Amino acid sequence: MKRSTTLAAQTAPPRRPAGYFRKLRSDVFKEWDLYLLLVPGILFILLFKYTPMYGIIIAFKDFNIFDGYAGSPWVGWKHFEKLFHSADFVRVFRNTVIISLLKLVFLFPLPIIVALLLNELKNVIFKRSVQTIIYLPHFLSWVIVSGLFIDLLSTNGGLVNKALVAFGMEPVAFFLDSSVFRSVLVTSAGWKETGWSTIVYLAAFSTIDPQLYEAAKIDGAGRLKQVWHITLPGIAPIIVLMLILRLGNLLEAGTEQILVMYNPTVYNVSDVIGSYVYRMGLGNQDYSFTTAVGLFEAVISFALILSGNALSRKYLQRGIW
Amino acid sequence: MSKPSNAIRSSVPEKLFNAFNHLFFILAGITTLLPFVNLLAKSLSSESAVISGTVGLWPVGWQTGTYRYVLQNAMFLNAFQVSVLVTVVGTALSLAMTTITAYPLSKPRLRGRKWFLLLFIFTMLFSGGLIPTYLLMHNLGLVNSLPVLFLPAMVNVFNMLIIKNYFEGLPDSLEESAKLDGAGNIRILLYVVLPLSLPVLATIALFFAVAFWNDYFAPMIYITNPSLKPLQLYLKELLVASGGEFLKDNVDAALNTTPQSIQAASILLATVPILLVYPFLQKYFVKGVLIGSVKG
Repeated sequence: MKRSTTLAAQTAPPRRPAGYFRKLRSDVFKEWDLYLLLVPGILFILLFKYTPMYGIIIAFKDFNIFDGYAGSPWVGWKHFEKLFHSADFVRVFRNTVIISLLKLVFLFPLPIIVALLLNELKNVIFKRSVQTIIYLPHFLSWVIVSGLFIDLLSTNGGLVNKALVAFGMEPVAFFLDSSVFRSVLVTSAGWKETGWSTIVYLAAFSTIDPQLYEAAKIDGAGRLKQVWHITLPGIAPIIVLMLILRLGNLLEAGTEQILVMYNPTVYNVSDVIGSYVYRMGLGNQDYSFTTAVGLFEAVISFALILSGNALSRKYLQRGIW
Repeated sequence: MSKPSNAIRSSVPEKLFNAFNHLFFILAGITTLLPFVNLLAKSLSSESAVISGTVGLWPVGWQTGTYRYVLQNAMFLNAFQVSVLVTVVGTALSLAMTTITAYPLSKPRLRGRKWFLLLFIFTMLFSGGLIPTYLLMHNLGLVNSLPVLFLPAMVNVFNMLIIKNYFEGLPDSLEESAKLDGAGNIRILLYVVLPLSLPVLATIALFFAVAFWNDYFAPMIYITNPSLKPLQLYLKELLVASGGEFLKDNVDAALNTTPQSIQAASILLATVPILLVYPFLQKYFVKGVLIGSVKG
């Protein structure tokens, strides 16, 4: 590799960027060991991340595994036209956005409120115990969480249905009922991640100048007023940043959770882009069409993240990464 | 709100608020723990009690045969071993790979650093998607092999950035004095930088370990060979087979247990490793998250 760059540098006509590459070459020569450390990582992402990006071309082909990437015929935008006219895709896209928005509306404010309340706990031991318990579910897999909820919501002796019956209501088959399954998704996601999501806000609290609170107290502000006028404005940039990150993930409604928890009876309300691509792509081997679906998602997400980053730079004076 | 005397007004509502706040967190704690207690009770209850749905938070008709059954079940044990293997090997290799990638990228003098970083960060923002990735693994002959469960995850850009930020926070003078002693970059990394970075390395190792242990998506996509199925995949199949033939055929009628109890016991046993590392996790993760949130 080094030889070929040397050769290229010698034979190439002296253009402007050559100066940069000559410096780079001398740096690589001087600190070859520093650059050497980078080689495995770069090879890995080239192979495992960038090669699949090249594989996206099959979204514009009628791919079959025998003819491979090169041999399969080009078909232009055919799969995208199919996508926009497919009732399946409309349903899946709708589900994705609805589930994402439900999670956003219910689960985005929750950790902020919990963090504010945690912040008011003065007993250190109590506070730490609470934190220890509510952080724990974050470290459990979706399969485990799903198992816990299947059991909790079961119609055969599940605690929730027992409570419903005790209050004189009909038991609900939560995992089989299209009208409640989305709430199961949102609730279990909230159970798993709310505690953990408080961390970033708790950290943000500690960056607020304590003198502000002292001054407010002297001015006679109660706790609520302190929260409203000092704490919330103090963590506002973090809240906005978190919101931007969430919006960037709008089309990732929690694929792993859904793949673990859904079943054919609730596909109509819970089948999202990720689960659809998995079932149609790998199950039905409809490779080209589902690659087109995946590309559609990836492009929108990319656009969302870039706009989020631009917003963040403009209003928070920092980028996301 | 009304005006009268500040000191007295604030103390009563404040006490009330404190009481409610404590109550709220006690309830939150109970809500978090309840499913586990319920599951534990089910796993230790007799067949008739579980089938009639009378088990709540306390075992009814005590039995421990379910655990004996699960711990002797060849499929469970095999899945457990696969998960341990993937987690240990995956964590060790990923940590090494992520660290050596983070080190050069933490040096501002590295020419082309911006471009290298962009190359890595771009993979967080855009991906080829499921199907092209699957086809790549297929072409590499990695489908139905254990390496497919950790190789693609080895350079985790997010974790890499956390380590890089930590390295950037170390004083330059350490490196300079080692350089004067004639040490090369790799020696400096191994003998000067790494010993000072144990907290962040521990955090990231634990993050990797938990991620590998909990991974369901990769094995679901790539593994169909029963002997290569890790624990999460096995558990998922166990859950789907709820009350089904899959378990009934396998459970000895004399065992006084039910598929539900077996599921419960298996889920709890799969959680044990997480609970074992949880105290360490807790010690480090807050720090890890904070380092991660500091921009480099």
